[in-house]
Amino acid sequence: MHELKIAEELSAIVTATAENAGLKKVDRVNICFGQFVQIVPAIFEAAFREAVRESVAEKAALSIEIIPAELRCQSCGSLFIPDDNRNGCRTCGSQEINVVHGKELFIKSIEGD
Amino acid sequence: MKNILDRNSNRAEENRKILRDNGVLMVNIISSPGAGKTTLLERTCEALSGRLRLAVIEGDVTTDRDAQRLKKFDIPIVAINTEGGCHLDSHSISKAMENLDLATTDIIFVENVGNLICPAEFDLGESFKLAVVSVPEGDDKPSKYPLLFSEAGAVILNKTDLLPYTNFNTGAFMSDLRAINPGLRVIRTAVSKGEGVAEWLSWLESRLHDISAG
Repeated sequence: MHELKIAEELSAIVTATAENAGLKKVDRVNICFGQFVQIVPAIFEAAFREAVRESVAEKAALSIEIIPAELRCQSCGSLFIPDDNRNGCRTCGSQEINVVHGKELFIKSIEGD
Repeated sequence: MKNILDRNSNRAEENRKILRDNGVLMVNIISSPGAGKTTLLERTCEALSGRLRLAVIEGDVTTDRDAQRLKKFDIPIVAINTEGGCHLDSHSISKAMENLDLATTDIIFVENVGNLICPAEFDLGESFKLAVVSVPEGDDKPSKYPLLFSEAGAVILNKTDLLPYTNFNTGAFMSDLRAINPGLRVIRTAVSKGEGVAEWLSWLESRLHDISAG
């Protein structure tokens, strides 16, 4: 249930941002999770509803965008999408690989008035 | 774009700086319940407590049983009872560090809550994460929980004495690990019988040497 802790952090940022921007209510919170982040969207949504209870974001809709994973080969520099059945770089076979996308945990935007 | 876990990441960086300034190595030990974290710590403390200044931060959901098991080593132990929480975070570690004399400490072992998912998401400020997997759990753990294994600095494959009695495929396990984290150090142990412990200790001491060399 780390979703609850992450939802509480999100709620704290949304509330502080809304206060700084002078928003009376938040209508929508747009967030991005990378594919490798182990968050179950349905559980996160429920945790978010708990976390924003009695705050300016109590009625805010939550929109979750999943960012697909993308890897970069350290040897030849090529970019590729991971495949469960194949290890290493698709171009040169190297095992030296960095994660470019997939570990994101970001707030994209907050809408309100 | 703002990182949702900014507060945790910022505190983790503060912890990391304090540890670096004091020359302390912090090992964040993560595994499923029952993989052998506490037994590994018992063997490690037994071997090193005479030569190195050790401390332990114990994360336990409801009891202090793990902390009790380590009392015999006469080293500082700070127990964090997470009261149901499934992971430790950088703020609880920061508070625990206030109860330790860092200037006279070489290594802090953090025994995280037994769980392969949640603890992997929270940077504590550790020097490295140690993933402990045991043979009876099955060889599919790296592919099912890739985040932990992609972030780990080393993996201990424990209970290898049980290999003849299970369908654990060591080749598949290693190949899945290499796909996720190619350079990862894997140490095979049967901690309760003392097997592989010397290799773990020598690897650990070389990490301590790395940080003292700066």
